[in-house]
Amino acid sequence: MAEMVKLFVNGEEVEVESGKNLIDAIGAVGIEIPHLCYHPALGADGNCRMCLVGIEDGRPPVVPACKTPAREGMRVQLDTDNIKKIQRDIMEFELINHPVDCPICDQAGECKLQDYYMAHDLQDSRMRVPQVTKGKKMDFGCGVVHDQERCVVCGRCVRFTRQITKTGELGIINRTDAARVNIFPGRPLNNRYALNIVDLCPVGAMTSRDFRFKQRVWFLKKDKGICHGCARGCNIFIDHNREKYKDDVIYRYRPRLNSLVNGYFMCDEGRLSYKEENENRLTATMIEGKETSFEDGIQRIQQELNQAKKPLMLISPNSTLEQQWAVKRIATLYGARCSGYSEGYVKAGDGDDFLICDDKSANRRGLQLLDIDCERTTLEQALGECDLFISFDNDPFRFGNNEELRNAIAAKRVIAISSHENTMTEISKVALPVASYSEYDGTIVNINNVLQSFTRAVRKNEERIDILEVTRLLGGAVRDNAHAWPGMKTTVEELAEVHPDRIPAEGLQLSVSEESHVSA
Amino acid sequence: MSAKVKTIERKGRTFLEHLYLVEVFKGMAVTFGHFFRNLMDNRRLYVRHYPEVKPEIPARWRGRHRLTTHEDGTVKCVACFMCQTNCPSNCIMIEAGERTDGRSEKLPVRFDIDLLECIYCGYCVEACPMDAIRMDTGIFSVTSYDRESMMIGLEDLLTTPAGCSEEEYQKGGC
Repeated sequence: MAEMVKLFVNGEEVEVESGKNLIDAIGAVGIEIPHLCYHPALGADGNCRMCLVGIEDGRPPVVPACKTPAREGMRVQLDTDNIKKIQRDIMEFELINHPVDCPICDQAGECKLQDYYMAHDLQDSRMRVPQVTKGKKMDFGCGVVHDQERCVVCGRCVRFTRQITKTGELGIINRTDAARVNIFPGRPLNNRYALNIVDLCPVGAMTSRDFRFKQRVWFLKKDKGICHGCARGCNIFIDHNREKYKDDVIYRYRPRLNSLVNGYFMCDEGRLSYKEENENRLTATMIEGKETSFEDGIQRIQQELNQAKKPLMLISPNSTLEQQWAVKRIATLYGARCSGYSEGYVKAGDGDDFLICDDKSANRRGLQLLDIDCERTTLEQALGECDLFISFDNDPFRFGNNEELRNAIAAKRVIAISSHENTMTEISKVALPVASYSEYDGTIVNINNVLQSFTRAVRKNEERIDILEVTRLLGGAVRDNAHAWPGMKTTVEELAEVHPDRIPAEGLQLSVSEESHVSA
Repeated sequence: MSAKVKTIERKGRTFLEHLYLVEVFKGMAVTFGHFFRNLMDNRRLYVRHYPEVKPEIPARWRGRHRLTTHEDGTVKCVACFMCQTNCPSNCIMIEAGERTDGRSEKLPVRFDIDLLECIYCGYCVEACPMDAIRMDTGIFSVTSYDRESMMIGLEDLLTTPAGCSEEEYQKGGC
């Protein structure tokens, strides 16, 4: 816990963390200082002057809050007339050449200019000369669309490419009202985190081509979730909406602050992985190519399991701990062997030193914790002996086809319990649709052993049950997520101290055992 | 202070009225009087010959919607969704798309109004920042044989003409 200092804001005493600047320190106790260029991840720049605050008896009497550390006994003034005038003047200044095309701007509704206009400005424009026109709808690459007229030249995007991605594609050229953000000629944005610029931009100057005109942001329901695009487990907002007469559809992912996992950002690939939740979903229960009811599918799987002598169950590295545990339990019930083989989820060499991991599954650490065998050799041996092969949402051919393994699996009686249509559902005798990660609750462990829980965001018109529920219908003893925990806690040493109801919002750092040093 | 009591005089208690038949013939005389008068000359009829004769609809009257266009025929609507956001009966369904006619960047590719759900409150007209949606068509009779055709789309809305002149509309203070 950081040291606390006492200072005065508008004459009222507040206790804040020392060492932080005034925006963050006072913001933590719920008093907002307006700012455009400052972002906690990019540091203070001090160019927008929106955060100027008065310091009573201070030298100088007016300071930028982003560059001023909180000190004991400081008397900060936010509501004096001269500070209000500064804020109003800065807003008027920012809006001189602003096109005010809010009706067609995707940022409308989450735009700082709109918010601050309502909070600090509320005056008509006094401009009587033609506005400076600049470039609109410029393609900056990586799906970023730039509108120079809306830009307030805060430089967040420029600093992001210089400090975070270290690629430096953007710069501010020219001065005064000719100043504009631009790319170097012929060298567009080229990094795997470029779409974070869209979130960073406090106004509508940077918008996403993918989200362009899809929805107005105030229609979206913003639920918390965890990206399942790779083993990092970045915290996200799942922005989804059910339009009238339509299904609940996800429109975008946005990164959510978690200093333990992803900080303020996420990669573009993960951000666009929302499409996989909407598209290519397995919708109908198929038995030998014929569409049947879900109940018939469950009944058939139960029959097959009862007849089989040596079933083999393949657990997905994307499933939650609870689901993996439930499948493991049902495997013991039916005397089946269990495997978590999932090399198909690994893209070797794809990861980097920031957020992206080689391993494109969300909960491989969970498989290791629950002691589920992931080796290829044991899978091949078990595959040779088995007479029934059930995949619980595991797609061994996710990235790249393995002809040999495919033939070996296709030769068996295959049951695919799957959220998506994939190779497994193609070669299966029975394909059963289940929920995907935006549609269930659960707990996953990321590559750095951070245990995180997430809750359901999307409710489809045709609701699908999750894998844990399927195991229950097949006769498993685990009724729900909470019911899985007592068993897991007694079996898995690392989870013994975990209270599933009390996992902090940032996640829980599990004690590191030597296993975790083996990279996926 | 005591309440004022007003005693109402009861009518229809005279002997002639009690006879009933006399009153019936009096009433019939009025009815047949009108009947024969209208039969001879129906110009002085008290009712309007609807639907042959339509009522005069004032410019401010909120009728069926239409979408307005610029002089060059391009749609004024920029798909800002203000009307949809403001609609209390949730009857407007818009889908936005990229615009290429040089007017702005955005236009509606789908603009459906469910006339069965619309309550003709006019909030959409008030919310519109572009004066793109108006209810000045003067169409008050919205009828159909099936529910599907009560959903009007972009083309219908754009081709519906105004029911009054621009000056009249502006004067109406809408």
